[in-house]
Amino acid sequence: MFFFTDLPGTFAAAYTALAKSSEKVLTTETAPSFARDLAGVVVLAALSLAAGLILNRWGLSRPLALTYQSPGQRLAAQLTQLVSRPLLPMGEVATVGLDEFRAALKNHAALVLDARPAVFYRQGHVPSALNLARDDFAADYRRLKPTLDAAAQKPIIVYCSGGACRDSRLVAAALITLGYSRTTVFTGGWHDWSAAGLPVERSGVRSGGD
Amino acid sequence: MNGRTISAARGLEILARIILGAVFVYAGAVKVSAPQPLADSIASFSILPRALIVPLALGLPPFEMASGVLVLIGRPRRVGALAVLIVTAVFLAALGSALARGITVDCGCFGPGTAAGTRAKMWLDFGRDAALIAGAAFLYARGRLSRQPDV
Repeated sequence: MFFFTDLPGTFAAAYTALAKSSEKVLTTETAPSFARDLAGVVVLAALSLAAGLILNRWGLSRPLALTYQSPGQRLAAQLTQLVSRPLLPMGEVATVGLDEFRAALKNHAALVLDARPAVFYRQGHVPSALNLARDDFAADYRRLKPTLDAAAQKPIIVYCSGGACRDSRLVAAALITLGYSRTTVFTGGWHDWSAAGLPVERSGVRSGGD
Repeated sequence: MNGRTISAARGLEILARIILGAVFVYAGAVKVSAPQPLADSIASFSILPRALIVPLALGLPPFEMASGVLVLIGRPRRVGALAVLIVTAVFLAALGSALARGITVDCGCFGPGTAAGTRAKMWLDFGRDAALIAGAAFLYARGRLSRQPDV
């Protein structure tokens, strides 16, 4: 009896119950899906790879070969422009510590070379060091050859960032291959030099240190 | 009280979105024009086969930039956060693997640095990546809990 006398109220209650259950179903169906999110990430990765390949092909001044070449392989390839001998193994290069490096520098007893990229050399380097970058070896070597030959009686000490950096060993190996047999490596590199608070030169301006 | 709690969570979400988004856009931008040092960094981990190193070095910077932009703008709501979460987890696993194997590498995360790759720096990178993962997981969880459609 109540059903018939309060028809609008019954309809309202039924509608509310139906709406609530529908909302529940709808929420379950549209619940955030990890698989859908993951698909979005995969699409993003594919588009990024395509963008990277396009940029490499048409946007970079020095496009990368798609098969990776290690720094040693790239240096060996540059070395073929200068000499017919193969690159000396890095392990055969002698090393010096910070004290020996400082003493050689103080007495002007060695020619010091910075093997880091030019951009880092310009930001700061060991005073009097010249930039013979591993990644621009052939061009830098041609530029510096008169200086290297003029100082032929002096040993050469090469450094890079220090730590895990191998550029100094590679450049030293290349120089020994080219005939500069008295070439060694300062393994502490820029890290140990700057950590010791020693003088720094930027674009020919010397500052800091003792 | 509830309103304040929701508001604080929303504030934290906005903060995480800005920090993560900015970090990823910056990380991608500094590497996108110089993929060779990144390829060398990837190779130094001695994990990937040679054939995959250059494609990863070319694709990673645009991926980081795109993920960062998606996190910043918040649309699609969860894809950017999940992308950041996955890529940072991969970085963390690679760093952890190198640390466990005793290899000293420069992660190259923000382009080639003047500083040398050292074990101490690797642990710092590890901690930073762990913090980024926490932020990305928070953003992704917020996106999943939200009733807003993923548009």
